[in-house]
Amino acid sequence: MKHLKAINNKAQLLSQAVADDSVEEVVAMSSLAGCTATTDPGWEIDAFGGVTSLCQPMEADLYGCADPCWWPAQVPDMMNTYPDWNKDAMNSKDDWRNLGTVFPKDKN
Amino acid sequence: MMNTKRLTSLMPTAALVLGTALTGSVLAKGPALEEGHEYMVVANYPNNMHVIDLQTDSLYKSCELPDAFGPGVTQMAPDGKTAYILNNHYEDIYGVNLDNCEVTFHASMSLQKNERTKSIFSFAISADGEELYAVQNPTMLYRDHYRVQPSRLAVYDTGSGLDAKPVRTFPSPRQVTVMQTGEDGTLYMAGAEIYKVDASSGEIDVAIPGRSWERPLYAPPDVLNAWPIQSPSKDFTILYTTARFQDESYDLNTADWIYGFMNVDLETGETQTTDFGPITEIYFSGILSPKDPNIVFGVLNRLAKYDIEKQELIGAAELDHSYYCIAMNHDGSKVYLAGTFNDVAIYDADSLEKLGNIQLPGGDMAISTSQVFIR
Repeated sequence: MKHLKAINNKAQLLSQAVADDSVEEVVAMSSLAGCTATTDPGWEIDAFGGVTSLCQPMEADLYGCADPCWWPAQVPDMMNTYPDWNKDAMNSKDDWRNLGTVFPKDKN
Repeated sequence: MMNTKRLTSLMPTAALVLGTALTGSVLAKGPALEEGHEYMVVANYPNNMHVIDLQTDSLYKSCELPDAFGPGVTQMAPDGKTAYILNNHYEDIYGVNLDNCEVTFHASMSLQKNERTKSIFSFAISADGEELYAVQNPTMLYRDHYRVQPSRLAVYDTGSGLDAKPVRTFPSPRQVTVMQTGEDGTLYMAGAEIYKVDASSGEIDVAIPGRSWERPLYAPPDVLNAWPIQSPSKDFTILYTTARFQDESYDLNTADWIYGFMNVDLETGETQTTDFGPITEIYFSGILSPKDPNIVFGVLNRLAKYDIEKQELIGAAELDHSYYCIAMNHDGSKVYLAGTFNDVAIYDADSLEKLGNIQLPGGDMAISTSQVFIR
């Protein structure tokens, strides 16, 4: 940490945790405070290095993975910030074209 | 003149609203369940809970649920009448009387203002139906930061209505997912270990070691567990994958890759950790046959059947698409596959021949848990 200087509250908390030797108190989160806090890789590859044990078709796995923030890199955070992402696509295999990209709203 | 015109222009809208309301109420009321009949309950998008008659393998009725869908994890009360469901983006548990579709129980997992609490598939009903247990994972939402709070086990009285509050809360291990209760009242929770909890005192013990298992030459188990299946044989079955090394060189290149299950017999409390075959494909859920405890089924892209003692794959059926959640009827003759899209597939448990599909109104079942029960 000697080359970095904490300038906001979160960074100061981190420095403090290191200084107090309380890093061990950091625990895995059971529920996500936002999907970006998880880093599962995604749908690219199965446990054998192939694709046959991925869900087939991919849409079959879409909401099962999107609802609990399983594959956050590819889909919006349906658990917290974009709960209605699939409101026009209740049936993923027929309606998937209605799924779009999302963008944070401007804060006025 | 003006008034008539206005009235006429409003009429189509009024008719449309009336039409929608009627369809809704007809769908919701449906017939009551029949005593002694076998049914399956499962939920899907946007807000449905379906009851399938397993005598005829057809849709019996559909109840409309309040709030948003997800994950649609269900648990049947022992009376075969009330279905509980974790929904509304993992934040609320509802109890639904399947006879008339009325919501009779509701508990918000968040217990205070600014708290956002999720339950990750983790709830169960006591064997006498009087208590509901949920592991809750709260996060405090402050103006400029969030704080992850300790996980807790909340105990509810199932008779406490639509604004249920916990009657007891206890500290809980983190990362708990599926749960089931034993006949003697013990609560079993799957997390880093399979925990055994006294739900009156909150005392926690390990029923089956998972992360801390000590099996010589075995790698630690890897477990995926999102479906708390209430099986006809009253088994709480959790699949694992692992590696068994040839010797103490622990060489992964020569290790055997193995599928197995941890099991709690919910009637006796007896536990086991049993390998059942080599890993050749992935299963998301598995079930022990109610008619032959030496047979285990697994499902994802195929429905597979193993002889546990011989540790051998003895049959597999190709599926039309992936299914997440497996269920069987009480005599063990049929396998029902649910989850993912909006059809339930039925297979003969002996021959693994496909017997048909039941199409559900509405959208994807996604990660919902189906439950087979007798009213």
